[in-house]
Amino acid sequence: MKATRFLILALLVWSLAPLTWQLYTSFCTDQALVTPFASLNQRWTLDHYQSVLNSNPPFIRYLLNSLFVGGLSTFLTLLLAIPSSYSLSKMGRRSSLVIKFFLIGCALFPYVLLFLALLEIARYLQLGNSLIALAVPYAALSQPLAILLLTNAFSDLPAELEDAARVEGLSVVQRFRWILLPLISPAIASTAILVFLFSWNEYPIALTWISDSGKLTLPVAMARIAGSSIHSVPYGPYAAATVIGSIPLILLVMVFQKPIVSGLTTGAVKG
Amino acid sequence: MAAPFADSTSELVKIFNQKNRGRIHLEVIKGPLETEAISDLAISSLLLGNTPFDGLLMDVTWVPKYAKAGWLESLDNYFNEDDLNALAEGADEGNHYQGSLLRWPLNADIGLLYWRTDLMDEPPRTPQELESISQKLQNGGRIPYGYVWQGKQYEGLSCVFLEIIDGFGGEWFSPDSGRIGLDEPPGLDASEWLNHLIQTGVSPRAVTNFAESEALQSFKSGQAAFMRNWPYAWAELQKNDSQVRNKVGITTMVAEKGHQPAATLGSWGLSLLKGSAHPESTVEAFKFLTSEESQRYLYTKYGNTPTKAEIFNDQKLLENYPSLQSIGEALAYARSRPETPLYAQISVVLQRKLSSSLTGMTTPVEAMQQAERSTAQVLEAAGESP
Amino acid sequence: MPLLILLIPSLLFLVAVFALPLFRYTWLSFHADSVMTGLVAIPNQGANWQRFIHDTRYLQDLFQTLRFSVVSVTAEIVLGLVIALILHQPMRKRALIRSSALIPWALPTTVMALGWRWIFNTPYGPIDRLTQSWLGQSLNALGEPSIAWITTVYADIWKTTPFVALILLAGLQTIPSDLYEAAKLEGAGSWICLRRITIPLLLPYLGLALMFRLAQAFGVFDLVQVMTGGGPASSTESIALYAYWNALRFLDFGYSATIMIGSFVILSSLILITWLVVTTARNRSQQSLAR
Repeated sequence: MKATRFLILALLVWSLAPLTWQLYTSFCTDQALVTPFASLNQRWTLDHYQSVLNSNPPFIRYLLNSLFVGGLSTFLTLLLAIPSSYSLSKMGRRSSLVIKFFLIGCALFPYVLLFLALLEIARYLQLGNSLIALAVPYAALSQPLAILLLTNAFSDLPAELEDAARVEGLSVVQRFRWILLPLISPAIASTAILVFLFSWNEYPIALTWISDSGKLTLPVAMARIAGSSIHSVPYGPYAAATVIGSIPLILLVMVFQKPIVSGLTTGAVKG
Repeated sequence: MAAPFADSTSELVKIFNQKNRGRIHLEVIKGPLETEAISDLAISSLLLGNTPFDGLLMDVTWVPKYAKAGWLESLDNYFNEDDLNALAEGADEGNHYQGSLLRWPLNADIGLLYWRTDLMDEPPRTPQELESISQKLQNGGRIPYGYVWQGKQYEGLSCVFLEIIDGFGGEWFSPDSGRIGLDEPPGLDASEWLNHLIQTGVSPRAVTNFAESEALQSFKSGQAAFMRNWPYAWAELQKNDSQVRNKVGITTMVAEKGHQPAATLGSWGLSLLKGSAHPESTVEAFKFLTSEESQRYLYTKYGNTPTKAEIFNDQKLLENYPSLQSIGEALAYARSRPETPLYAQISVVLQRKLSSSLTGMTTPVEAMQQAERSTAQVLEAAGESP
Repeated sequence: MPLLILLIPSLLFLVAVFALPLFRYTWLSFHADSVMTGLVAIPNQGANWQRFIHDTRYLQDLFQTLRFSVVSVTAEIVLGLVIALILHQPMRKRALIRSSALIPWALPTTVMALGWRWIFNTPYGPIDRLTQSWLGQSLNALGEPSIAWITTVYADIWKTTPFVALILLAGLQTIPSDLYEAAKLEGAGSWICLRRITIPLLLPYLGLALMFRLAQAFGVFDLVQVMTGGGPASSTESIALYAYWNALRFLDFGYSATIMIGSFVILSSLILITWLVVTTARNRSQQSLAR
């Protein structure tokens, strides 16, 4: 249908235009940025990328920090959420409904409001500037979503499977290892990727817990770059930083599109 | 350091590092352009218990806050009576908190009244004089505006207000006594006068959106008879593209008869952060950056107002830079903004209320009364003992 | 029950992270805890609350945050529905198109916020150049207090509409296609299909998206701090930003806690009201569908 084609095109333009503009800007010289129709040979440059990548500390450091925290918090989240959702899926209807309500309430909570309490904890327990410590509140904040998604996955499994395994004498750990976990692995993948995305994008807690420039995660580093403008038109380097910062996530979305979509949609359906 | 200072002191830093090669190496980190952003950056580290730097270039209004939070190391052991006496009168304001010396000034900025020497013989001394001169000139068609100043809702507005309320014999807030003087007659008069300027057209309505650069632009293009600004504006006004080159004089802000004029202090200074691993070296660096030679260099090259009395009395310098004399005289009337750790909050309260009266949303009297109440609430809620 | 033990660590964690702070804030709000008290909590007999109820800056921020939330969320739901309908269609390269539609949502807000500052920059950004050449005037989007908030709304819509679209897509996928076939046989056009079938059946999902987005938008922080810094003239300042500054800039933890607990109460009431409205609408539509 022609109309659908047009709409799809419109959707693509809408979604990708701002980023494309950043990509374009990142290769323009400062001169080209302020004079709309400058001569072509003075237009393109790789300087902005150089200045971003060679900054102190190097930009790659931020990506690595985010990667580390993301991985650790995903691991912690799953460690806690898998047993919890298993037990929740076995519970009676009424009690599980109460707990689910509580979980949805937590998921609705705007977590930015927690920054002060978490700051006090960081001060009191000297947890500031530790990427390992940062993974802990992230894992906590991801629990509601993770538990809800995984409980659904467990509930969807036919009960006979596990009963049969139990009859054959497999212990709980063995049942998990050989039957349950493999069967819900799509759900685990979805949950993992969503938790990872959350921790990559998280800003207020990382902002208050990390001040050391070598330990910043990507969002905080970008905000610092934003606030550090000392030029009148710093947008070339900004654009380069935006592009570099976006690449990992774009790749992530492209590769893991399926689990992301199925995770959110099943969450919505059962929620 | 704030970016402009990092740039202007870079040569000095190089010299210092050369002189002390192998022993001390000073690294200056360029901070963001926005003043508050620098403080935010430092505070986020300090709150977590880290000392991000050895020294920090501090705006004068931060000193009480950082001091009360216990983040500054006392400089009493490093500077003695003689050092303090060598400072020009007024340059030593804003460096102490509760008796300790906590900041060593790098420059001594103060609010000044700029006036057009080609339009009048003598600058006004009182608010009424300023008004009448402006109106005469405006009515005679000689100039569109009388007086341009910083009326935007930001810290600059607080600086402007401080000069006026002090000029009317009042006081904004005294941390020692806990008294807030906004709803007393001088405060009300000050607020009313500023409003009056706009209503009678002595100041353009646009002034409610002016920061330093807009006021400068207006005065520089010859559109105003008077301007309130900092010393840096002088050099700008002598440039070739200025319409008022060689037609500008500077003096202190106007004040009511019987009251002294006030010049809001806007200085930056160097503080030693507690927990620094190299306090002696850091202070040595401070001393170098504020030495007499450094100050001459910074003044002649960048217009950075010096702090040492000697420089203001240097005849040779005065010959080449006559404005230095007026600045030195005005410096004697330097007034610090209320030195309380809660300054940032009470300043915001004042800015908001004053701005709402300037834009006509409340009356000047109401604005001051509301400001008084809000200030009291802020202080009480934060634990300021009355 | 031995199984319950597995649940306990998570629950403890959740209570610690969500409930304890609320208690702490409530307690703190009755104390002075600022740089003046050496960041130690000292009881102050409700002085924070006295200040809070007279705080015009909070009121302004509350208004601005609500305005931001309502406008963004409304636009997101409408747009999200459109996008969901598009994505629901069979098409070639569906995966690629879905990924592209998801990218805005996957990017950290602060990363793109810089981009928005540039796009709306006066006078060099593309938007301003466009208005200059079409309307002859500079738009000054980020410098004009009366319209700056709209740029933040746009940035928010761009980022979170995919999320809403996915939720609604999930809902669309549960609607049996024979309903549409039956309606078409009776001669119903696509508009009627939308009104009578799609939307009523999507209500639970619309409600879910609405509540989620409202709660998230109420706490807007990242976008405002990096894109506009709360300016110009505090016109884009949000509640979360105000609370943050009170703690980190003014070093007044007691008042920051007061703002947050007060805001939490307001938000909870809003969500509750929304939930009631949505549930009533659902019940009513279910009754009409049954007929």
